[in-house]
Amino acid sequence: MIAALNGAFDDISKAMKLHRVWVALAHEDIGDQHRRTTLGPLWLLVNYVAFVGTFVFVFQPAGKGAAGYAAYVAIGLLVWFYLMEVMSMSVALFQREESFIEGTTLPLFVYVMRLALQSIIRAGYAIVGCVVILIFSGSPVGMPWLWSLAGLFLILFATPPLITVFAFLGAFFPDSQFIVGNLLRVGMFFTPVFWMNKGQDPVQKYAYEWNPFTYFLEIVRLPITNGEFPAHAFTVTIMASLVTWAIALLLLGRYRKQVVFLI
Amino acid sequence: MVSIKLDNVSLVYKLHDKLTLSAPDRRVGGPGGRIEGSGRKQFVQALDGVSFELRAGDRLGLVGPNGAGKTTLLKVLYGIYEPSGGSVAIEGKVDALFNINIGFRREATGRRNIVLRGLISGWTETEIEEKMEDIIAFSELGDFIDLPFKAYSQGMAARLAFSAATALDPEILLMDEWIGAGDASFQEKAKRRMDELAEKAGIIVLASHSEALIQSVCTKKLTLKSGRIESLTTEPVKRAGKVAKL
Repeated sequence: MIAALNGAFDDISKAMKLHRVWVALAHEDIGDQHRRTTLGPLWLLVNYVAFVGTFVFVFQPAGKGAAGYAAYVAIGLLVWFYLMEVMSMSVALFQREESFIEGTTLPLFVYVMRLALQSIIRAGYAIVGCVVILIFSGSPVGMPWLWSLAGLFLILFATPPLITVFAFLGAFFPDSQFIVGNLLRVGMFFTPVFWMNKGQDPVQKYAYEWNPFTYFLEIVRLPITNGEFPAHAFTVTIMASLVTWAIALLLLGRYRKQVVFLI
Repeated sequence: MVSIKLDNVSLVYKLHDKLTLSAPDRRVGGPGGRIEGSGRKQFVQALDGVSFELRAGDRLGLVGPNGAGKTTLLKVLYGIYEPSGGSVAIEGKVDALFNINIGFRREATGRRNIVLRGLISGWTETEIEEKMEDIIAFSELGDFIDLPFKAYSQGMAARLAFSAATALDPEILLMDEWIGAGDASFQEKAKRRMDELAEKAGIIVLASHSEALIQSVCTKKLTLKSGRIESLTTEPVKRAGKVAKL
């Protein structure tokens, strides 16, 4: 196990030294995805705002609950779309990078960081839209926003191991691409992205409490919507991130040289 | 001192029965070689007891039928495949030309692609800048260098790849099926550069099916069959050296 961890740290440190490679490739990826379009990556912002607008229009509760709903959905969708994109793109990561993996000696973590950075850049456009919606919806700007920012950093911290775990899952179990895709689509309804947990519906209550993604959403959302520090959500998210890191390091250390034979 | 030493290197990999809900896929991916075992415990013996030594100035040609292990051997030398047995000792900076399109982006210009290729090979930005004009001049792409890579013909792409891969004077250069990079005059130029590389105390390992190419470039020839060394000519190929049957 120690040898596996050493191997993983070696792979990660080599990838960090090669940061210019994944930074350049991630930028190329974003550019390629929007080449020849008029709005370019601004489409990411348009899509996000359109989604939030639709959800607010359709699901906004009447009366007193209406006030904070736009902020609730804006942050919920921001975090959920980010996590969903990271996970769904990760399952086929090694298959997509096949020619690189079979033709270069780049450490595997380079591909992990390439996808991480790409997802972060894409989410960056949505964040701009999110901040504008929050300000327009009347969310008071104050100190609690810093907790929210800390929550975002915690999600960033959890991103590379999440990608690693899902990438290995996809390499060993190709069907997982479809399983993960379907689960994520269904998962949106079992995660408090656009519905609020009132504690009355038992299904909602279970979905809220036992779904780890709830806490990833709440560490960013609760400081802004409720103006409080969500200690419990932070604790759960930190624990989940550390467990994911541990699994990712073991997989990377143990199987990184096997990936080339699996894809 | 640039050198390569392989001692009894073998590469065996299991044909992973991937966990899948569909009918088992029996297509063999990865390197070639002999398939052994049966049922769920199949494995491929891609290399078996390969030993040889190369010193500065050696140009080794790898020959053999499809699936003999040529590419696998190159990938072991490059460090992509970890051998299952034996030892590989390499002194010197290794660069490889396996897939000419590696690191090349269709939408990016030739110039940008040189930067990307350089970064992937671990060059610093200063090294890339210093070599940029040399690479462009050697590739003879002229104004095409500022056009997207997708506008290049296959020959042009191969010229750019070859120019970039050999620009930083790799001490050891590994090439797979590198033939037909550009027209006859470029091939001649490429051959001269390979001569220079080898003279600068480099090692070249070239896998090819072209006997003529091997004869004109290489000084040693290693014939592989089913992952094993069948023969290794120890004298310059051009002089029709003695073939040592192993």
